[in-house]
Amino acid sequence: MSRIGVFVCHCGENISATVDCEKVARISGELKGVEFSADYKYMCSDPGQTMLKDAIREHKLDGVVVAACSPRMHEPTFRNACAEAGLNPYLCEMSNIREHCSWVHPKSDLTTDKAESLVRVMVEKVKKNKALNSIKVPVTRTALVIGGGVAGIQAALDIANCGHKVVMVEKLPSIGGHMSQLSETFPTLDCSQCILTPRMVEVAQHPNITLYTYAEVESVDGFIGNFKVKVRKKSKSLDEHLCTGCGLCTTKCPQKKIPNEFERGLGFRPAIYVPFPQAVPNKPVIDRENCTYYIKGKCKVCEIVCPTKAIRFDQEDEIVEVDCGAIVLATGFDVLKPDFFPEYGYGKYKDVIDGLQFERLASASGPTQGMIRRPSDGEIPKKIVFVACAGSRDPAKGIEYCSKICCMYTAKHAMLYKHKVHDGTPYVFYMDIRAGGKNYEEFVRRAIVEDETHYVRGRVSTIYEKNGKLIVKGVDTLMGAQPVEIEADMVVLATAGVANKGSEELAQTVHVSYDAHKFFAEAHPKLKPVETNTAGIFLAGACQAPKDIPESVAAASGAAVKVAALFSNDLLTREPLIAVVNRQAPPVYSSCVGCFLCQSVCPYQAIEREEIKNRNGEVIRTLAKVNEGLCQGCGTCVALCRTKAIDIYGYSNQQVYSEIMALLND
Amino acid sequence: MNDLIKKVTQLLDDKTINVFIGYGQGTASRIRTIFVKNSSQVENLVYTSDCTANLAGYLLKHEVKKIGKLGILANDSALRSMMQLASEFQIKDGEVYVLHAAKDGSFTEFADFQSIEAYLVTIDTGITSDEQERIAKLEAMTVKERWIFWNKEFEKCIKCYACRAACPMCYCHRCTTDVNQPQWIPVASHEQGNLDYHLMRAMHLAGRCVNCGECANACPMDIPLNLLTYQLIAPIRTTFDATAGMKADAVYALSTFKPDDKENFII
Ligand SMILES: Cc1cc2nc3c(=O)[nH]c(=O)nc-3n(C[C@H](O)[C@H](O)[C@H](O)COP(=O)(O)OP(=O)(O)OC[C@H]3O[C@@H](n4cnc5c(N)ncnc54)[C@H](O)[C@@H]3O)c2cc1C
Ligand code: SF4
Ligand code: SF4
Ligand code: SF4
Repeated sequence: MSRIGVFVCHCGENISATVDCEKVARISGELKGVEFSADYKYMCSDPGQTMLKDAIREHKLDGVVVAACSPRMHEPTFRNACAEAGLNPYLCEMSNIREHCSWVHPKSDLTTDKAESLVRVMVEKVKKNKALNSIKVPVTRTALVIGGGVAGIQAALDIANCGHKVVMVEKLPSIGGHMSQLSETFPTLDCSQCILTPRMVEVAQHPNITLYTYAEVESVDGFIGNFKVKVRKKSKSLDEHLCTGCGLCTTKCPQKKIPNEFERGLGFRPAIYVPFPQAVPNKPVIDRENCTYYIKGKCKVCEIVCPTKAIRFDQEDEIVEVDCGAIVLATGFDVLKPDFFPEYGYGKYKDVIDGLQFERLASASGPTQGMIRRPSDGEIPKKIVFVACAGSRDPAKGIEYCSKICCMYTAKHAMLYKHKVHDGTPYVFYMDIRAGGKNYEEFVRRAIVEDETHYVRGRVSTIYEKNGKLIVKGVDTLMGAQPVEIEADMVVLATAGVANKGSEELAQTVHVSYDAHKFFAEAHPKLKPVETNTAGIFLAGACQAPKDIPESVAAASGAAVKVAALFSNDLLTREPLIAVVNRQAPPVYSSCVGCFLCQSVCPYQAIEREEIKNRNGEVIRTLAKVNEGLCQGCGTCVALCRTKAIDIYGYSNQQVYSEIMALLND
Repeated sequence: MNDLIKKVTQLLDDKTINVFIGYGQGTASRIRTIFVKNSSQVENLVYTSDCTANLAGYLLKHEVKKIGKLGILANDSALRSMMQLASEFQIKDGEVYVLHAAKDGSFTEFADFQSIEAYLVTIDTGITSDEQERIAKLEAMTVKERWIFWNKEFEKCIKCYACRAACPMCYCHRCTTDVNQPQWIPVASHEQGNLDYHLMRAMHLAGRCVNCGECANACPMDIPLNLLTYQLIAPIRTTFDATAGMKADAVYALSTFKPDDKENFII
């Protein structure tokens, strides 16, 4: 006979407003096998927990049901309390009478009836619960950081400085991300490269960091503490150990007219190239799609001029395997592509550019050495229009969110323009000015007051060319929707920040969830902003949503702390709620027939083959066996196994059957 | 026929196999399965147009396996069952001697799984026009009519489990019906027990059934069981582009996920 205790929580008024908690406790107390029942205002509070512990000791309870909120919230709380009172924590179950009952039904007898049923179900389950012990697994103290923008750099350095190994994987030939393309940064106007490049170098030189550039993650297996990752290092057609980075090859390459991605198409680069002068590593790669040798089979000029004979035309991609305990996703964001704005003439008119292109024009190391010159004829524009919210906050275009960074960088652009073109006139079309942040509002004020930027509140409807001028048509909503028309020399669109192309595939490879806009999803928007729903995988920077540098860096340090906390233990404690394939005495051995359909269905590769041998060492049966370290207890295999050879601890067939019967036999 | 007898005699004589699973004359004009263990029994083998049963199921029966090395006279269905069994790791390449009986009465030896697979892609895996007609009739019914139809059929079931014994894919040592801790499927042959059993049987064969029809042939109560499993073949083929029993190393369509799997059935 069981001795079960039932504890009904009021959750303040969250539950008791619609459920008669006292009655639920009273009725539950009469159930067969229930020794003790009580209700209390806040079971999770200190007095609540004390009451539970005392009852366990006093009434010698061998099972506990807490009828309260979702187990996601407080199951650990109550299981710990049970353990402290000497009861195996897995003999404690929660009955969710809040989310599943009080919150979704009005106050009525039926609602109370339902709560009673939910408790009865759990009482029957607990009768079949078994004492379980948690599983300990070792932790590999190496972190994988995917993406080498400012967020990835910060996370990698923080983790490495805690004394842990870091492997950084960057898709492009150099780390740095979008920040390396920026000229000056709001709200301080300090030079982006000057603050970033020392950190890039630090990454490359840090004894704890291994850097793989021009590389991508192929597959991720395993689980928190023990991931197994395959990284594809794309061939750079170069022996990096021999290359000294002299750059001679890049000057001699006959292909000179390849649009330079780093300059956002405002300049050109050869086929063998270093993306920008401060690149880390500062060694070239051959872009095989544009290299004469790979296209026509002839050329090899770089091989001839290279003083150290470092060029390798026949080099192949290399797959490296990384064992790591945690993963930080820091793959950043992208900005909307030009074809999104036919009405603004982007792509049609050379002098309609995007914000990143303006950053390159304003950058001292950019294609114009920092002079603001328009792309069409190199003239200095005297009248310039900045269009904020180009694509953002536009449900019609499918982007209802605010890209967050554009208000600020547009103000910055107007300022930079005015500092460089003193007699110029900058206009900004905006919807609202969003300048929340330390010193942000003051920064925008400076752009308006000191740098005389004309802010026009309204959307731009069209942009077209007339007599060598760009005619920007919009309305000024502060002047009673009065139409405005500006004859501009150049237009800069603050295009929406969007998820990277391929972020969906990456999320699937890494096994994390993503939102409707393909940004990676955090586990909880408030309380777990850098965690994902997959244990051991964290988020840093703009891969989660558009973020500015301070926010990206803060998130990166947050993710790094989570990794360091994980690595602070030798062993990781895991819940023992895992699958098990039954074993019986010979000659039966198991009811498993070895079809291994469970092996292909298991999303965590947790099912292995065990060979049962006779005395002569001959294999007589091959049975499925669950790897304790890998199994996540998802239960997929249990549902698939036709012969019911697999069961799951904590959610066994017996337990679930008892629960269903408790409801049906009411 | 002489070819068959000569071949099997030779196989048994030179001990390539210890038993050959084939067809023999049963009582009245019926055909039954026979197990030929030595050359003196070879003359009992027959092969006529009535020899349509799928013999692959016997390959896994304990009583047959313990005799020694097996040879089988396999029709198209049996070949497909064998490929499905191989994909579920129940038989291995080279373990069974396979003599294929073609519809025209000729016999061909299949040396390995690869040659069986190569042959299978050339055959028609569809169902007969008669069966198509019966399925079309079922599909034309409303959901309610169909529910009534099947419940009426299942009412007849006496739970003899002949269908389970006849099916080459029902090879579990302990069927879910025999699990009693807990007893998900009621053993009694009442309305609920029968329905639960047949729904379970159909679900366990989804994506694995090769439409040989042995279940319906075995049923003493004439329940058209095959129509139930057949109806699961088409959706799996159109949704996942998978057909059971075509490849020895196939992965089960219902246990794998591919990023380009259709999701249109999720509501
Ligand atoms: C026009 C413009 C101006 C801006 N100005 C400012 C400013 O003045 N001040 C400010 O605070 N912020 C500014 N920002 C915002 C700033 O750029 C971002 O906050 C910052 O770049 C975010 O850093 P990140 O590391 O998260 O992402 P990113 O900078 O995007 O870096 C991501 C990195 O990951 C790599 N990567 C992507 N996918 C993969 C993959 N699958 N595998 C491996 N690697 C991958 C990328 O190549 C890249 O190196 C501006 C943004 C724009 C567009
Ligand atoms: S699905 Fe069941 S019977 Fe098949 S191998 Fe797995 S545990 Fe064994
Ligand atoms: S419960 Fe089964 S399917 Fe899920 S992880 Fe464990 S072994 Fe794999
Ligand atoms: S063979 Fe027919 S009667 Fe026997 S169990 Fe199967 S369906 Fe029922």
